[in-house]
Amino acid sequence: MNWTWFHKLGSPKSFYAITTRWLPWLVGAMTIFLVVGVVWALLYIPPDYQQSYTTRILVVHVAVAGTSLAFFPIMAVAGTITLVWRMKLADMVAKNAAPLGAWFSFVTLATGSLWGSVMWGTWWEWTDARLVSMLFQFFLLLSVVALRSAIEDNDKAARACALLSIVGCINVVIIKYSVEWWNVLHQPNSPVGMSNSGANGPEFWLPTLVMIVAVYLFLAVSLILATRNEILQRERKAQWVQDLVASS
Amino acid sequence: MKPHRQKRLGIILFIAMGLALAVGLTLFALRQNINMFYTPTQVAEGEVTTGVNFRIGGMVKEGSVEEAQDSLQVSFVTTDYVSDVPISYVGILPDLFREGQGIVAEGQIDAAGVFQASKVLAKHDENYMSPEVKAALDAAGASTENHPMSGLPES
Repeated sequence: MNWTWFHKLGSPKSFYAITTRWLPWLVGAMTIFLVVGVVWALLYIPPDYQQSYTTRILVVHVAVAGTSLAFFPIMAVAGTITLVWRMKLADMVAKNAAPLGAWFSFVTLATGSLWGSVMWGTWWEWTDARLVSMLFQFFLLLSVVALRSAIEDNDKAARACALLSIVGCINVVIIKYSVEWWNVLHQPNSPVGMSNSGANGPEFWLPTLVMIVAVYLFLAVSLILATRNEILQRERKAQWVQDLVASS
Repeated sequence: MKPHRQKRLGIILFIAMGLALAVGLTLFALRQNINMFYTPTQVAEGEVTTGVNFRIGGMVKEGSVEEAQDSLQVSFVTTDYVSDVPISYVGILPDLFREGQGIVAEGQIDAAGVFQASKVLAKHDENYMSPEVKAALDAAGASTENHPMSGLPES
C-alpha cells in the first residue's frame, strides 16, 4: 500500500499548502449550508402537533449535539497517531480540537436546557443520564485543555492529553446509548421517516440534515484554521514560514 | 509497522479495552441507580418502600385527570398499561401535560398508596409531526398515540 499521501499530509508544511487550496471551497460550502439550514429551520419547518414551533430548536440542538460527539474520536485518533508515530501535526489538531469541542458541548447543553425549560418544565435534571453524561463530556474536554496547560513540556503534554482523549471516547458511547440503556426524561433518537404523511417526515429531517452538514463543515473549517495558526507558531523558525511571512 | 510502534499500539488498545470493560461493568452494576424513574409496575411489585423520595414515570391515564376548582390541586393516574399508580399534585403543570402524555413525577407514596408528587415533568416522545399529518393519521385510524415509554429496557 502506498502511504506517501499519509506522510505528506502529516508534514506541517504540506498540510498548510493543501489546506490553503481546500479552505475557500470548505468556507463556501459551509456558508451555503449554514444559510440554507438556518433560513429553512427558522422559517419553513412546520409546527409539531404537540410542541408547536418549539421543535425548531431541534435543528440546532441535534446538529450541534451530534457533532460534539465527534471531538473525542477525532482527538483519540490524533492521540493514537501522536503516541505511536510521534507525528507533530496530529498533536496540533488534537490540541485545538479540545477547546472547540468544549464550546460545542456548551451550546448543546444550553440549547437543550432552553428546550427542556419549555417542554419538560425543567432546565436541568441531575438524574437524567443523557444530560449528565453530556455535562461530563463538557468537563472532560475542559480537563484536556487544563491538562495541556498544566504540563510545560510539549511532548509530555501531548502524550498525557492523547491518553485522556482515548479514555474520553468511552463517554461518547455512554452519551449515545444513555437514552436506550436507562430510563431518562430525554427522548430517544428519532427514526428517519421516509414518507410525507408519517412521523419524522422529510419536512423535519431534511433541514436537520442540512444543519448537520453545515455544523460539520464549521467544525472542519474552525479546526483547520486553528491548526494552521498552530503550525505557524510552532514552525516559526522554519525557513518556509519565514518565506511565507516575508512574501505576505 | 515497526516493532516498537506495534508494541505501543498494543499497549494503547489494551488500556482502552480494559477501561471500557471496567466502565461497562460499573454501569451495569449501577443500572438501577442510573435509571431516572421507576415504572408503575415496579412500584406495584413493591420495589420501592413507602416514605422514601423517588421518581415515577408513566403515561397519564385517559380520563383520570381531576382538577380542583378552587386550588392548584390535581390528581391523576399514571400507567405503563400494566399497572396503575394514582398521583396527587399541587402546583403548576408543564404545558405538555395532558391525558395520554408521558410524565415523570418526583415525590413519595403515602400510607394510602397515593403518590404525593412535589414535581411533575412532561416527557415527550421522539415522533415529530405537523398537525395536518397527525390529523390525517388520526382520521385513518392509525395509532399515533404518544408512547415515550416504549423501548424501555425490561425491568
